[in-house]
Amino acid sequence: MAMISAQTFFISFFGLAAVWFGIVVFRTHSMMRSALALLFSQTAIGAMFIGMQAEFLGVLQIMMMATEMSIMAIFMVMFMMDPGGLGKMDMTHQKRRSVITGLVAFLAIVAVALFTNWGTLAGSVPDSAQQIEDLGLELMGRSMLIFETAGLTLLTAMIAATAVAVEPLKRNRN
Amino acid sequence: MTPELFPALITGAALFGIGIYGALSQTNLVMLLMGVELILAGAMVNLVAFWHYLHPDTPAGQMFVLIVMTVMAVEMAVGFGVAIARFRAIGSVEMEEAAELKG
Repeated sequence: MAMISAQTFFISFFGLAAVWFGIVVFRTHSMMRSALALLFSQTAIGAMFIGMQAEFLGVLQIMMMATEMSIMAIFMVMFMMDPGGLGKMDMTHQKRRSVITGLVAFLAIVAVALFTNWGTLAGSVPDSAQQIEDLGLELMGRSMLIFETAGLTLLTAMIAATAVAVEPLKRNRN
Repeated sequence: MTPELFPALITGAALFGIGIYGALSQTNLVMLLMGVELILAGAMVNLVAFWHYLHPDTPAGQMFVLIVMTVMAVEMAVGFGVAIARFRAIGSVEMEEAAELKG
């Protein structure tokens, strides 16, 4: 029982951290701080995954997001006139409507979470080695088509992103 | 009632709400992408919670999280591709200036 309480405590703690850093992303004027806050938020989510005994996904999340947010920070510096936020520029529009929509979405999901009968809690979680074995068998068996589709989607996205981003050739009209 | 699920589900809901706010309110394309990342992160938290508390013997729950991570990577790649194209065309990634795309 004490172990379950500790687990719930850590999940709640990292959940609060993820939400707090998620709020900081849109509250700071500095783009660099926004990217770092999002990195901390995603890392806290990875820690939540580890708290929920999904070690593989937790480590994957932290590694992937560290890389992704570093790239995001570089893009911020490249594209922004004021990446440090020293000018305190306001970069928001339709703020009131956005706050209301965000709050309504949050309350609707909380209502669904509270009033749905989720059934009984399952027993123990398989150990991490067993989880990875099961996941591998799932990916190479029943979910093979979905996994292959995800790979193909990534390849298509890479080609599409490169095609969109490269400078168009200047054609000689003569 | 399964109160053990609530911390994770409420975290997921909060991340989703913050993400919706960010995606709707930000004028900068990169900040908008950050909002979408938070929405997808909220979905991932819920998926892992359902897997852990309700169906730990079903690896499909973890597989869905891998798919959401793929969607995050795709969204970032295509988003930054579009950002580079916009920056090259008009020198800015402000969404207010993208109204011309309406045609």
